Amino acid sequence: MSGGRHILWLKVIWVGTVVTALYLPIVSVILASLANTRYMRFPHRVWTLDAYRAAAADYTTVTLHMISLQIALCVVLVSVLLGTIGAMAYARYDWKGRSLFQRLIVLPIFFPQPVLGLALLLSMSALGIAPSWKTAVVAHAVWIVPIVTLVISIRLFGYDVAQEEAAFDLGASRWQVAREITLPALWPGIFSGALFAFLLSWSNLPLSVYTSGADTPLPLWLFSRTATNYSPLVPAIAVIGTFVSGLIVLLLLAVRQLLARRT
Amino acid sequence: MALPPPALTLTGLTKRFGSKTAVDDISLDIRDGEFFTIVGPSGSGKSSLVRLLAGLDTPTTGRLHLRGTDITEVPANRRPTAMVFQSLALFDHRSVGQNIEFAMKMKGVPQAERRARALDLLRLVRLPEDYYPRPVTQCSGGERQRVALARALGSDPEILFFDEPLSAIDYRLRKTLEVELKELHQRTGKTFIYITHSLEEAMVMSDRIAIMRTGRFEQIGTPDEIYRRPNSRFVASFMGEVNILEISRTKGTPHFADLDLPAPQAPGAFAVLRPEALSPGAGEGPSFDALVTQKLMLGSRTQFHLRAGNTALIAEVAAGPRSALEVGQTARFGFDPADIAWVDS
Repeated sequence: MSGGRHILWLKVIWVGTVVTALYLPIVSVILASLANTRYMRFPHRVWTLDAYRAAAADYTTVTLHMISLQIALCVVLVSVLLGTIGAMAYARYDWKGRSLFQRLIVLPIFFPQPVLGLALLLSMSALGIAPSWKTAVVAHAVWIVPIVTLVISIRLFGYDVAQEEAAFDLGASRWQVAREITLPALWPGIFSGALFAFLLSWSNLPLSVYTSGADTPLPLWLFSRTATNYSPLVPAIAVIGTFVSGLIVLLLLAVRQLLARRT
Repeated sequence: MALPPPALTLTGLTKRFGSKTAVDDISLDIRDGEFFTIVGPSGSGKSSLVRLLAGLDTPTTGRLHLRGTDITEVPANRRPTAMVFQSLALFDHRSVGQNIEFAMKMKGVPQAERRARALDLLRLVRLPEDYYPRPVTQCSGGERQRVALARALGSDPEILFFDEPLSAIDYRLRKTLEVELKELHQRTGKTFIYITHSLEEAMVMSDRIAIMRTGRFEQIGTPDEIYRRPNSRFVASFMGEVNILEISRTKGTPHFADLDLPAPQAPGAFAVLRPEALSPGAGEGPSFDALVTQKLMLGSRTQFHLRAGNTALIAEVAAGPRSALEVGQTARFGFDPADIAWVDS
């Protein structure tokens, strides 16, 4: 049927356009990192890996990644812990003001991040706290905990809490109930939540700008060096950063795979 | 003849939630091997009561004895009882087999033995053996019921509790499962304590029925006693459609207030008359003229909705020549006073 063939072609073109639009900027960054000029121009007169050599030699590269990683891991820990407790509170208990609290907790997500960052900075200076990577963790958490709570809640939707009582009734101890029933039900949500928390913190700029103080996370450095003092070092470090975060996500996936096989 | 000790003895069992008393001073013996059903409307405290019996909640006051041993403070996981929950509460990330084996796994029973026992239980609840590895999420409503039952039996309990497990099942399947549950009770010889809001369901399965209302038992008896000799309008109305006639004593001699008929011997304030006790034609008993307002065919019986004066009544007649009446006709209806159950409240 020729109509079907037309539709197939339209589908191919459509999907191709979307994929190109998604990946073209990433490819351009990789291309930009292979130049040796201070101005973005294409095609390059000289193709070189100099920028990567400079990045590898520069201690800043490690520092930037370590700070971002430090923040992201702390945010993952805090938001998964609080998000799990919050999601369980929704799933398990029917308390007064439950739906109001549910709305209140997602409100920070709608608040523009630069304003939120500024507000947090002002509050911290009022309290006499010097901004550093630790205050950035707090700032990220304010924005990310609600998202993680939401993600875990969604995965927990439909979880019948009576399962825990049934297990207890069938002779399981409190600890066995947690291990056999509660954790397996929570685990997919915790995993998605952790992934969200990590990626949102790793790439966050507007909150870090105000709250990280003298410590510079990766996106902040990329932003300031692109605005002033650009060199191919910037896209090179951006590419390295992408690989590092990709590696960490793969690591998380591998851990999940391993845990899934064990049960 | 010495009676065996009761399986479960409730002594002044009370549960309060704040100022609300859900279970109000209940004392009762449940015999070994009995199918005991507690019937009540929602909010009557029947679920709160069964949670106390299962050990999922502790009573505010009162004691609970299992074959003479005080188990009031023993938590659910150390009681030799198991519950089939209203939501069934199947472990949905596990297979049918893993669900059934759960209690045995917690006890540390070796895998091979667990599996053999699980397959036995599958047969007992009439599920094919190849359901063993199937995820419970792939089971139909009726199959899930059977898995929940097999899982509860998997802990080899002395007493099984059922918290309205059939309430979400459609009528025909419910009827099948009721009969199967009764047969299972007879085969296993275990004590079953069953909660439901349907007296009809209770009638089919139970040895004894307790009607519960606001935390107390209104009446306890065999299905026959509950049906024939309800002790209050509340119990009588639970059975579905029933005629309740108030007795008036204002004119000196007692009479049926609404029908304006004398009631010479009236030992109660209300007369409960089953629809099948009311029939067309005047017999030796009291009779009155009534208008047929509705005629419903119920298969083997025909139901007539009647109006006598200001009173609406229901009569049921076996299909046949006596059910030839049509809507709009007026006919004489009568009843035998011996069929009346007298109640005071």
